[in-house]
Amino acid sequence: MITFEGAGKRYPDGTVAVDQLDLKIPSGRTTVLVGSSGSGKTTALRMINRMVEPTQGTVAIDGTDVRSRDPVLLRRSIGYVIQQAGLFPHRTAVDNIATVPLLLGWPKARARARARELMELVGLEPGQGRRYPHQLSGGQQQRVGVARALAADPPILLMDEPFSAVDPLVRAGLQDELLRLQAELHKTIVFVTHDIDEAVKLGDTIAVLRPGGRLAQVDTPERLLAEPVDEFVAGFIGYDRGVRRLSFFPARDLPLRSDIVLSAETTAEQARSVAAASGQPWLFVVDKDRRPIGWIGSAGLAGEEGPRPLGTMGVIGYGHGFTVSTDSLRAALDAAVLSPAGGAVGVDTDGTVIGVVTQSDLGAAIWPLGDAGGVLAATSDNG
Amino acid sequence: MGEGTTASRAADAVAAVAEVWDWTAANLDDPIGPKLLEHAQLSFTSVLLGLLIALPLGLAGARWRPLYPPMLTGVNVLYAVPSLALFFLLLPYTGFSPWTAIIPLALYTLAILVPNVVDGLNQVPDHVRQAAAAMGFGPLRRLLQVELPIALPVIVAGLRVASVATISMVSVASLVGLGGLGQLILTHGFKRNFPAPVIVGIILSVALAFLADAVLVALQRWLTPWARGRESGATTTRNRHIARAAVARSRKATT
Ligand SMILES: Nc1ncnc2c1ncn2[C@@H]1O[C@H](COP(=O)(O)OP(=O)(O)OP(=O)(O)O)[C@@H](O)[C@H]1O
Ligand SMILES: [Mg+2]
Repeated sequence: MITFEGAGKRYPDGTVAVDQLDLKIPSGRTTVLVGSSGSGKTTALRMINRMVEPTQGTVAIDGTDVRSRDPVLLRRSIGYVIQQAGLFPHRTAVDNIATVPLLLGWPKARARARARELMELVGLEPGQGRRYPHQLSGGQQQRVGVARALAADPPILLMDEPFSAVDPLVRAGLQDELLRLQAELHKTIVFVTHDIDEAVKLGDTIAVLRPGGRLAQVDTPERLLAEPVDEFVAGFIGYDRGVRRLSFFPARDLPLRSDIVLSAETTAEQARSVAAASGQPWLFVVDKDRRPIGWIGSAGLAGEEGPRPLGTMGVIGYGHGFTVSTDSLRAALDAAVLSPAGGAVGVDTDGTVIGVVTQSDLGAAIWPLGDAGGVLAATSDNG
Repeated sequence: MGEGTTASRAADAVAAVAEVWDWTAANLDDPIGPKLLEHAQLSFTSVLLGLLIALPLGLAGARWRPLYPPMLTGVNVLYAVPSLALFFLLLPYTGFSPWTAIIPLALYTLAILVPNVVDGLNQVPDHVRQAAAAMGFGPLRRLLQVELPIALPVIVAGLRVASVATISMVSVASLVGLGGLGQLILTHGFKRNFPAPVIVGIILSVALAFLADAVLVALQRWLTPWARGRESGATTTRNRHIARAAVARSRKATT
């Protein structure tokens, strides 16, 4: 547990970077600090490893004030990853990763062996170990940076916008990797970012800082999106927080209809009767392996000759499906928005169609959630 | 312009080469060998001493920025003092010992080495320095294991220019009875109006400069494998330094 108690930092030029910060960062979890530029995130983070000394209040790790510890030794027990990775250009990837073990006095062979172990853990090829940082891509450099921070197995990991300098695709990969690592390692991670999506994805807890270095709100991602305490936080997390919040609800509870899913061999006549029986304006066509083909409208069916199979008619593309067992309501909604028929196609992990969710069923599933947010917000005002 | 003139010129040239050759053969053990060695020793010691002074000065200049401009003015002013004057000024204290040559030559290298040490250190990226601190490098360890190695290419670039400049300047010390190959040129050649020692002195001096440069290039390649084939700011900084220092050297060669 890392505890900030009334911690503040006023730089010599008078800038108050952090003001009266009270924050408990639980062990073994990921806590994300978000806030606009200059709101004191980096300053707060650096108070933990004494790269910044608070000018008021205290920062303690497991009850011990960090100021009672030698800064150099303290830092060797805390991993640190920064935006540009901060790799040593004159050392190979392996030697970069072995840095802290060597500082701790491990024999060289053991430090290198440990470094190679970590390369595998963070998804680097063994051959990349002999490369110098400038011979690696930005994403690979960040992986080396993460491996270096983990090398001496520190219980605490400080990460200051570690993924913000790489492209969105690589960033998403690194985020997934971090989630996987954290599930395995259970470090106390303090993660700084500007990106609310990243915060929601990675954080067990999110702390929002407002300009002037004051804490605005600390909450789980779900509650933060559901009930921002004020205009500032609401504005910071964005106007689409309602849609974002849907990512906390699984799609598997959606009502899936299979009666309006028809195989390509079905004749127009049969299809017309299904449409009439279900009262649905759109039917979904699948191939003989139940893989998705597309939507067909009952209006289009009306003019077709009875025996003609659906597979020979023109269908409308379905955009993308959502995986019923693993995706969230956000993915299902996105699938529906992208489909001209307004419904979403639910598939199994092997890509076969389980059923479709109609527009009205999806609306009915999502609508009460927004309401629940309102109710929660009202109760938290009392508490 | 008859054939005879051309033929006689060719014969003169052959005779001159033969003369240089004969003189070299006759004087290889003395004075050529010892003077060459002395030249190399004087140059090496001067550059080494210069580096030993430039490193702490450069460190101070890089760490405490306000210190650097006056420091730079200081080493530049030193550089402007004619070498002959410095030799004579030192004579009463150091006599005809090698130090009379080494001290001024070492001081001259500062004008090249101090800015290179400072720029080399300043060019260490801030995020690298911060990452080192965050990982638990103490200040001294950070300097020795992170900052100096990264500054090395720029420092070696300065060393290359300083050593070539010093090798060419050592000869001037022959005016006070030192100066290695300069003595061949002055005592054995110029004063006796005899060209062979002058030519040998020049050739060996240039050869020594080439050798020193080659050794430093090899040293750098060996010490900084990471900088090889690296197209980055460091390379351009290094080239800028070589260019700037070369200008400084050509200026100095005239005093
Ligand atoms: N060494 C310093 N001296 C003076 N002021 C500083 C110093 N470091 C930071 N500040 C100021 O303190 C405030 C907070 O800076 P900090 O770097 O902690 O913000 P941040 O939230 O990390 O910003 P960003 O998102 O841009 O990285 C800013 O106004 C900044 O200008
Ligand atoms: Mg910052």
